[in-house]
Amino acid sequence: MSESKFETVSLLVDNYQRNDDNFDEAIFDLIEDEQLSDTWERYQLLGDVIRGEAETSLPSDFSTKIAQAIAEEPTILAPVHKISSKVLLKAKVVNLFKPVGQFAIAASAAALMIFGVQHNTNDNNASGVMSNPVIQTTPFGGIADPVSLNFQQPDIKAQKRAYIEQQRRFQALLSDHQRQIKLVNEAPNKSLKQHKVEDTPK
Amino acid sequence: MMPNTYAATSDNISAKAWLTQLSKALQSLNFSTSFVVVKNNQAEPYHWYHGVDKQGTELEVLSVLNGPRRDTLRKGNVVSYLEPDTQPYSVNSTNISGPIPSIFRQNIDVLAKNYDFVSVGKSRILGRPAQIIRIVPKDDHRYGYWVWLDQQSGLLLKIAMITRKGHLLEQIQFTSLDVTPHLSKSLENLAKAKLPKVIDIPKASAANDFAWQVNWLPLGFERIKADHHSIKLTKQRVEFMQFSDSLVNVSVYVSPSTVKTRPIEYVKDGAIIVLNQVVNGHEISVVGKIPANTAKAIADSVSFRNITN
Repeated sequence: MSESKFETVSLLVDNYQRNDDNFDEAIFDLIEDEQLSDTWERYQLLGDVIRGEAETSLPSDFSTKIAQAIAEEPTILAPVHKISSKVLLKAKVVNLFKPVGQFAIAASAAALMIFGVQHNTNDNNASGVMSNPVIQTTPFGGIADPVSLNFQQPDIKAQKRAYIEQQRRFQALLSDHQRQIKLVNEAPNKSLKQHKVEDTPK
Repeated sequence: MMPNTYAATSDNISAKAWLTQLSKALQSLNFSTSFVVVKNNQAEPYHWYHGVDKQGTELEVLSVLNGPRRDTLRKGNVVSYLEPDTQPYSVNSTNISGPIPSIFRQNIDVLAKNYDFVSVGKSRILGRPAQIIRIVPKDDHRYGYWVWLDQQSGLLLKIAMITRKGHLLEQIQFTSLDVTPHLSKSLENLAKAKLPKVIDIPKASAANDFAWQVNWLPLGFERIKADHHSIKLTKQRVEFMQFSDSLVNVSVYVSPSTVKTRPIEYVKDGAIIVLNQVVNGHEISVVGKIPANTAKAIADSVSFRNITN
């Protein structure tokens, strides 16, 4: 690929119009050239930023907001398992309570990895999702999604809080269930019964 | 048809014999083994020692290898749990509560009412010849287990929890297995160690105290607990019952709620489901390694006595 093609990209992006025959040709070339297409996109964004037109999509506290979005938005889509019931919602459990202190950072990173929520309505249509009290997750694929989440209305925040609250509830129940299984007091005759297995060769 | 029937019967006998052999091996052999619990794209590694000392007392250590230390120790009929966020405590039991179902070291006959045991052939796991046994539920309301057993020692090489349709929920893959004539060093140390105090488990309060009851459970589930307690993480007071079919435990929680109704919501972590709903100001939750439809049916079957009497 020639250096001049890249230059053309730059010029096109910067609204530089050349009144010569090469112009249309240049665009045509670019469309056909995949490698240049990528470059095109990057230049396009760069051009926006340079001209200050990126203001609307990239605010000055852009990085802060991203960090905030990441901190507040612990959702990553997990594989969907559909079940045929009226049960509406399904999410991976994440441990919101422990560990503390030195493990806290690692834990929150882990949370990002495994967290997920799915709307398991029978027909995955939009109205079913709307009626759900929990935020709809956005795939964490591109940068655009988590950022745009931040620009949504304050009730999204409330929904997020409700979502966190719900996760707390689930986590609390799960750990209590596991704890209750451990808290047993086996009658002595029951443990005898277990050892009997050894004495029965038949 | 005759040969088929015969084959099925002999398979069943051999499947049961294998599971009985497993139970014996888990109680009598000195072994040191590692395994990994795999679910939700996560793998949690464990190490597990078991042995029997000269007095015939069973010794066991089960440790989680990643993250904060969590160890479970057992000496005879005392099991101690050492966990990061709780005071170490012991309970009277001959079974460690962990990823391996404790029924595997007990008399598996009790499972025969609700599960079929099927021997489905041989394979190779952990570089060893393995016998595959399926523990297949007789109804749609629970999950099945597939176990791969070491043909030489009868010990576990792999466990999988499977839905009725054959979908894998979680599995335990053993990554090392050593059977030794003598106790391992760790178990010798455990023999000398002093375990934390056995805590008092409050006697189960009569479930008749409760203004509610569970009207439906899959066949074979019996109540093993009923009490009031506070959930540790949220300090929420709950009325609680736990049921078991000897393989899985199901907990039912009931408490007053600040909201009038909330539709059913649930999360799944591998095979375990946590399901929660609020009906007429009562929050009802069901937790256990059961299918979502079963959990929902149990939650929906909870009924309340008239409060006015």
